[in-house]
Amino acid sequence: MTSARRAPLVAIAVLAGPVLVGGGYSLAASLGLVGAGSSGFTVATWLELLRAGETWRSVGWTLLTAGAGTALAFAAAVTVARGAGGSLLARQLALIPLALPHVAGALAALLLLGQSGFLSRAAHAVGWIDGPAEFPAMVYDPAGIGLTLAFAWKEFPFLLLNAIAVLDSRDRTLEETARSLGADASQTWRRVTWPLLWRGMAPAVIAVFAFLVGQYEMAVLLAPSDPLPLSMLTQERAVDPDLARRGAAHALSLLALLLTMVLVVVHERVTASDAGGHA
Amino acid sequence: MAVLSASTPRATTRRTILRWLTAIALPCGAVACGAAAGDRAGEDRLSREAGAADVAALDSLPWDSVVARARGTTVTWRMWRGDPSINAYVDGWLAPQLRERFGITLEAVDGQGAELVNALVVEREAGRTRGTASLLWINGETFASLRRERLLAGPFAQRLPNARFVDSASAIIARDFEQEPLGFESPWGTVQFALIYDSVRTPTPPRTVAELRAWIVAHPGRFTHDQGFAGATFLKGVMYALSGGVATFAGGFDSARYEAGRDTLFAWLAGVTPSFWRRGETYPPDVAAMHRLFANGEIDFSLSNNQNEAVTKARQGVLPPTVRALVLRDGMIANTHYVGIPASAPNAAGAMVVADFLLSPEAQLEKAKVDVWGDGTVLATHTLPPEWRASFAALDGDPRAVPRDTLTRYARPEVAPAYHERLLRDWRRRFRTGGP
Repeated sequence: MTSARRAPLVAIAVLAGPVLVGGGYSLAASLGLVGAGSSGFTVATWLELLRAGETWRSVGWTLLTAGAGTALAFAAAVTVARGAGGSLLARQLALIPLALPHVAGALAALLLLGQSGFLSRAAHAVGWIDGPAEFPAMVYDPAGIGLTLAFAWKEFPFLLLNAIAVLDSRDRTLEETARSLGADASQTWRRVTWPLLWRGMAPAVIAVFAFLVGQYEMAVLLAPSDPLPLSMLTQERAVDPDLARRGAAHALSLLALLLTMVLVVVHERVTASDAGGHA
Repeated sequence: MAVLSASTPRATTRRTILRWLTAIALPCGAVACGAAAGDRAGEDRLSREAGAADVAALDSLPWDSVVARARGTTVTWRMWRGDPSINAYVDGWLAPQLRERFGITLEAVDGQGAELVNALVVEREAGRTRGTASLLWINGETFASLRRERLLAGPFAQRLPNARFVDSASAIIARDFEQEPLGFESPWGTVQFALIYDSVRTPTPPRTVAELRAWIVAHPGRFTHDQGFAGATFLKGVMYALSGGVATFAGGFDSARYEAGRDTLFAWLAGVTPSFWRRGETYPPDVAAMHRLFANGEIDFSLSNNQNEAVTKARQGVLPPTVRALVLRDGMIANTHYVGIPASAPNAAGAMVVADFLLSPEAQLEKAKVDVWGDGTVLATHTLPPEWRASFAALDGDPRAVPRDTLTRYARPEVAPAYHERLLRDWRRRFRTGGP
């Protein structure tokens, strides 16, 4: 075997290694085999976790906010890429949030959207509200509005770059053919450009979603205490004074891994069947 | 026969599962085996660990030799790094003093509470008898966990020369959440829980738990507590007050007494949380968020585990200059924080010299200044030489600080750590998630 052929295997091992080792350790810890507070093989941690309403509220809420944040960012990226894709200034302006750390983005959201934030103060100044409590709650709110908006704002430039790259590198002859066959602009978009764009962007969209499912810094500044995001619930278990609950933290992180893995597998299946269909 | 045939397949399944696990977790399987072997070895393992062995060996040496051994070494101290004033005291005052006096390089790194326990357990599982940290900032349930997992070296505290000044008559210093330190941790500072209010916004604050209840109900949306450690301390204090005081819960964890106290507290909360900030549907994550909401006028009270935080934060401009600390007459929980030496400490001698210097009158005085940290001293100041006595007496200068005799009068000790653990867990289930 040549070194050129071996290189990808090494890369895969380096990339997958930490996940396998970490996942393996977490699995062992969630089953009471290793770690602080472990006391021999047990599935009680998993059973308790899977039976708890708290877990599923957290999972559902996390998937919803991460999903909504991804969808908003994706929609905005596609809109801007189509509308202002050619304008250099628009691209550069849109990329500003890309350079900002997530925690800074969350702080900005807090200062802007909080009940004593900039928008609230502005509303007070023009006499719309009399006090902070009258301003609609958008941080620490059970609906996760502030967190979702912060997610979308932070992930938008990444998806925008991706959308521009996909649009720039697409095969324009397909669109020209559609036009010459009598399709109007919206039909061409719906039947030709959009499927190309979506297929090209799907991996990036999944990566953004997976990242948001595990996001902690933004959640800790903006999320409510009920439901608690999966990342915060995991951290709470990881630092619980009761050592016997460490296993639950490992189980929760595996659950998060599982959720995003499902999406990756679905994507792989869909692209595989797509490729098969066209062949 | 029936019993046999029922149990054999189950045992086989368990073996199969275990084999699979070993295969999946191969890299950490070795680690796990190492840990298990260590457990079996029991005492052997403890004596192999650097810190535990060194503390035992140093015990027979005179103190001067310990100081001599510590010269030129580095002490890595795992501590909470979340407060700029504390960091400034540690990095800007302690570290230069230690370098100058003892030739010790102090390196403070982040790590507190349960994270400490996690880190030390992982180090041990990796088979390391010599870890990174030589000193730990600990108390309460962290001390309990570390002792349970046998991760601390000692006893060492009694032999520190400055330990003779420690106020060991104080129940709050002599016992840590009702546990006897037994020399496995050395006291460092005391703090007392306090509410924080703005004397302009709230000229006549409530002074008792009953008055607080009336105030909350009369001012809907203006009170809350965080969902972390400080919030749990607040709840525990109210639980004491509603159940006849701390004596009800003293003497170790008792689940019957706990459940009665919890039910009384929860009935009280059920009456007031609808008048909390956001109707008690959500709670700020931590004290930093509490201060932010308080400073921005969203709520009228913040809280802190340190009675002096109102003053230090006002001096830094984080809180308005008109803030005051508030001590409820039903009593406020006070506790002591300590330093301990991990069993895997690479530099036990250095750690002991640092722990001793932390107890020196100069280090305790500097730390107690409200424009430095405002951390209460653990020394019995009346036993100190006269010049030090005068310096400590002169501390009560800031009119915003709660006078020391008021603090002492209303100070209540912590009870067994299990009360804290259970209350936090039950509160989360019942109030945070709004369950039954």
